[in-house]
Amino acid sequence: MIGALPLATIPPEDEALRPEIRAFLRETVGAIPPERRARSWMGFDPGFSQKLAERGWLGLTFPKEYGGTGRGPFARYVLVEELLAAGAPVSAHWIADRQSGPLILRFGTEEQRRFYLPRICRAEAFFCIGMSEPNTGSDLASVTTRAVREGDGWRLNGSKIWTTNAQHSHYMIALVRTSGTPQDRHKGLSQVIVDLRAPGVQVNPIRDLAGDAHFSEVVFQDVLLPGGALVGEEGSGWMQVNAELAFERSGPERVLSSAVLLDEWARWLRGAGAMEAAETLLGRLVAHLAVLRAMSIAVTGRLVEGGSPVVEAALVKDLGTEFEQAVPTMVANALAKPGVVAPGPLMRTLAYTAAMAPSFSLRGGTREILRGMIARGMGLR
Amino acid sequence: MDDLLARSAEELFARHASSKVVRAIRAGASPAGLSSELENAGFLDALLPEAVGGIGLGPADVLPVLMAAGRFAVPLPIGDTMIARAVLVAAGEAVPEGVITLGEPLEAMARVPASQHADWVLLPRDDAALLLPMAAATRDEEASSTLGSLLRWPSEAARRVPAGDLLSAGAWAEVAGMAGAMERILEDTVRHAQDRRQFGRPIAAFQAVQQQISVLTEDVFAVRMAAQLASVPDGDGIAALNATRIAAAKVRAGEAAVRIAGIAHAVHGAMGITEEVDLHLLTERLQLGRARFGGEGHWSTWLGQRFLRGETDEALAFVRTHLGPATPETDPGAASSSSNATSSSGREPTVARRL
Repeated sequence: MIGALPLATIPPEDEALRPEIRAFLRETVGAIPPERRARSWMGFDPGFSQKLAERGWLGLTFPKEYGGTGRGPFARYVLVEELLAAGAPVSAHWIADRQSGPLILRFGTEEQRRFYLPRICRAEAFFCIGMSEPNTGSDLASVTTRAVREGDGWRLNGSKIWTTNAQHSHYMIALVRTSGTPQDRHKGLSQVIVDLRAPGVQVNPIRDLAGDAHFSEVVFQDVLLPGGALVGEEGSGWMQVNAELAFERSGPERVLSSAVLLDEWARWLRGAGAMEAAETLLGRLVAHLAVLRAMSIAVTGRLVEGGSPVVEAALVKDLGTEFEQAVPTMVANALAKPGVVAPGPLMRTLAYTAAMAPSFSLRGGTREILRGMIARGMGLR
Repeated sequence: MDDLLARSAEELFARHASSKVVRAIRAGASPAGLSSELENAGFLDALLPEAVGGIGLGPADVLPVLMAAGRFAVPLPIGDTMIARAVLVAAGEAVPEGVITLGEPLEAMARVPASQHADWVLLPRDDAALLLPMAAATRDEEASSTLGSLLRWPSEAARRVPAGDLLSAGAWAEVAGMAGAMERILEDTVRHAQDRRQFGRPIAAFQAVQQQISVLTEDVFAVRMAAQLASVPDGDGIAALNATRIAAAKVRAGEAAVRIAGIAHAVHGAMGITEEVDLHLLTERLQLGRARFGGEGHWSTWLGQRFLRGETDEALAFVRTHLGPATPETDPGAASSSSNATSSSGREPTVARRL
């Protein structure tokens, strides 16, 4: 059985960061219309990432020797929840700061750390992650993109798809097969860093249903990678990818994707006067948010203690995305009243959030995959 | 401390509140054996200061005891008694012998659980409370059900005891009991899924069953967290419990109760609705907890109004300030949002202050 999560709190020294972050966000993000801010961590703005970098808020948890600020996970928690609640356009640096940097720090060589981490902290290196392929979705171990040894380096062939920000990024960390066949499953997979400007790399943006092109297909045709492209051990890609996913499943981004919509709706209710049904719904959503946040902080507490709460994180993500999806569903219902005219920005925020909501429980591991992990944690499989 | 207390509570209930005993008390047998064990262990005085013979614990400390009582569906109002004794002692009143249930005030009546034994009812009236003997009450059979007994007294003449917000305090104790009952439901459901075989394999081997139990697990974790959150006080003792946190927890627990009972019964199949299996004792405990001191609808509205009339426009800021895992004093970022709202004084509606 999975152990209970004890209540954890954000240490005062990390809470102390909050007023400065909030003041910064009021200045930089406050004037952006809500339907843009609703893009949450899909909103792309390199200039904004640059401004965060100037304040030392990129690579907040990276050691100072690599250009970071050397803070702990709770400092990053405070920063991230404020960024997301405000709907700041964090997408440009998001993956590098959240996943690629920590991965390089943990498994990379000293040379890789010295090269990539300071660039990430300066908002000069944006990353994307190459996991899914045209025939590889939830069954990640079936990847067929292959890197074959050639001299000191590798020759890469294959393709990745649904890669967020590939068209804007400098680098991709790709999960590829370096030995064996897809039948070997988890064995023979490795992670490599691909410079997306290298010859043979073709990035084809895919438009999403909201008209944005936040993800792409990336095709590799005889791309030559240097020996230093390998991250961690050859053949350890599966373990590394799982470590990477586990740590990012319970963060505020799994709870706050609809935060801008929730706030816009509440602000309108406040001015327009709420019927009891709306108050009841709002209270219900706030109750869920409160419990989810406490759970998310508790999982972060486990990470700080050096634990590996993989299943707990999956559990928080599944509940968190259920909440994120409930917000647009229920707000849409509350606003669908004959005779009610809600402001345009609120309706456009709703339209965007409702359209994108199905993706909340797909990205980072589908609902069914997460529930399978929880069932395993409970000894059912 | 937590672990020690939880372990000794579990041991006590395992020995003296087996499902046989629980069923007997529900059928009208005397609970004297169980209540004297509880009394001797000091659990009923857990919230009283040590100076008056209590253990001097706070709400978060006794949470494991109330959860353990929930796990065994103990048919005694343990949390209510702890709260009532704390209220009586704080008012300088004598604590009567026996267990005390908190009554929900109706016009000239009180609603109390039908499935739990009690010797006294502490009944909120206006801004005070009355201690009324169970023995003198008449049950309104027409208005009563297994969900609640409606009681009247020939006269409500009793000394008025200054009391805080007993309804919120009662809601806190119910969330704690529900969280415990939910833990046990999860364990029983997992075990049943592993033992029960169909189509030549344990039903736990079917993905459809696994996914449902995963959802059940998620809700149990959420409610346990909600109960911990509701137990964070803003100061010393039971009177410092925060009604806003309790509201959120009661909403979450009430919602989960429905989903959890549904899944547990689905996995147990027809066996789950027989008297032989304990599941119904636990799901009834959830029904009781959900109904008492305001259901999720009541508390959702209360919470929604509090947010809309409060000082911040942002849901996250409201949650951080009023519903965080720490007391608001430790949150320096709390008071930063500008707003034109004027209705909130910024003070927390604690159990002591609200009434």
